[in-house]
Amino acid sequence: MTTLTAWLTDPNPKSRRQARLGQAWLAWLRLRRNPPAVSGALIVLVLLALAAFAPLFATHDPFVQNLSQRLLPPGTPGHWLGTDDFGRDIWSRIVYGARITLYIVTLVVVTAPVLGLLIGTIAGYFGGWVDLVLMRLTDIFLAFPRLILALALVAVLGPGIINAVLAIALTAWPPYARVARAETLTVRTSDYIAAVRLQGAGAGRIIWGHVVPMCLPSVIIRVTLDMAGVILIAAGLGFLGLGVQPPLPEWGLMIASGRKFLFEQWWVATMPGLAIFTVSLGFNLLGDGLRDVLDPRSESR
Amino acid sequence: MPEFLEIDDLSVTFTGQGREVQAVRNVSLKVRERESYGLVGESGSGKSTILRAICGLAPMSGGAIRIGGVPVPTPRGRAFSAQVQMVFQDPYASLHPRHTIDRTLSEPLAIHGLRGSDDRVIRALKDVGLPANFRFRYPHQLSGGQRQRVAIARALMLKPKIMLLDEPTSALDASVQAEVLNLLTSLRDEHGLTFLMVSHDLAVIDHMCDRILVMQNGAAVEELSREDLAAARMKTEYARSLFEASADRFMEQGLQG
Repeated sequence: MTTLTAWLTDPNPKSRRQARLGQAWLAWLRLRRNPPAVSGALIVLVLLALAAFAPLFATHDPFVQNLSQRLLPPGTPGHWLGTDDFGRDIWSRIVYGARITLYIVTLVVVTAPVLGLLIGTIAGYFGGWVDLVLMRLTDIFLAFPRLILALALVAVLGPGIINAVLAIALTAWPPYARVARAETLTVRTSDYIAAVRLQGAGAGRIIWGHVVPMCLPSVIIRVTLDMAGVILIAAGLGFLGLGVQPPLPEWGLMIASGRKFLFEQWWVATMPGLAIFTVSLGFNLLGDGLRDVLDPRSESR
Repeated sequence: MPEFLEIDDLSVTFTGQGREVQAVRNVSLKVRERESYGLVGESGSGKSTILRAICGLAPMSGGAIRIGGVPVPTPRGRAFSAQVQMVFQDPYASLHPRHTIDRTLSEPLAIHGLRGSDDRVIRALKDVGLPANFRFRYPHQLSGGQRQRVAIARALMLKPKIMLLDEPTSALDASVQAEVLNLLTSLRDEHGLTFLMVSHDLAVIDHMCDRILVMQNGAAVEELSREDLAAARMKTEYARSLFEASADRFMEQGLQG
């Protein structure tokens, strides 16, 4: 172990691989020094574990209805978070719902920021009419209220997880494009971009290898801040019956079904609400920590 | 010696917000192979713009640029970048802050599909007098002089014939200036480079250049050889005033040399 850490923290790496792994180790050390980020990472890890091993954590089948045991309060033996109006165990449904939440979040994260980043950097780098066309397009998307546009898309495409994700991604990219373009404008006239252009690099290499790394930190921060919003919009679409369809245990859908008994049987809506709250908080804390980690300049010397 | 880099009647005009600014007016100059040619003038006289126009980074509105008798292509292309490279004024701005020195130096090799980048990066660091263990550092971990050495190493990666030096020492403090200038001189001898150098510091120009062109307001004023400069044989009033302005420092350097 000590030889490994010595190898990782060697100030004079022998190879590119050692240098890269050493950087990753330093990033981990920076993350570890940041307690909120660690707790955020823990929450996200727990969510990952719940989703991966849902059958182990769940005490009941999330779909089996048992009308003789409907609306049991939390703390009931066998149902420690209670049951919903069909007698399904809420804890088991939350555990299985983590899969759906994670699936939606992952799909949105690999689509919207990447699309926004590409559009923003291309617009900022080329300028002129390319910039004009792409940014007016961005403005049009920005002008629509997000949930309304998502609603319209789902109404056209039909309800379902994939369509909900598509709707969220299509409405979530414009802010990333704006951020990326603003960063690109400050970077594109810099000497280091002129130097790499002078070395004969094409636009693709310059944008991907030299401009995008400069935009990435601000975009990543936005992504983690938006993560909570994404979960809430997915929940909102589920709540309106336009996202995930019953009987799938999606958290937003579970809140929607608990609405009818909010005053008498508060736990039906509160438990999935707490799950959304916790996960959103986890992503926010992690995102804040990631900003420090991703900037090599912030490391202690 | 044959003329290597020829600039004929070059004009550069920037247009913006409905205004036209002519930064360079009808400047001609000829640089011989392995020569050091200096461009001198106060700020805003268009010296750096000439270098940027050669690289295709500033818009040419007239004239021609030839290397070895062949007009340079537009856009410049990879063949051009293997022939001409530039060292920028500010070493704090010319290195990518998120790339290691290794990435910065191996990037030109990757662009041109050249092999053996490990060895060549280590060799390049050695050439500019940097220890090999600097290879995986980031620019923020280096001093100004060390950064400028990295920028020089980067310019040399493609084995160019012509180096354009845009005030390569003006952002460095005096003790480091001399080191970098000596490094440039020895690299020129070693690699058979041709220098086209911009400076407003006559001491630096005297140390480095065989011939200089004095510029004012985007136009060429007077061409001087090193001997003319040493004997103060300026024909125009402007060149003389420029010379006198930095005479104190110039004399000091002359006495030491």
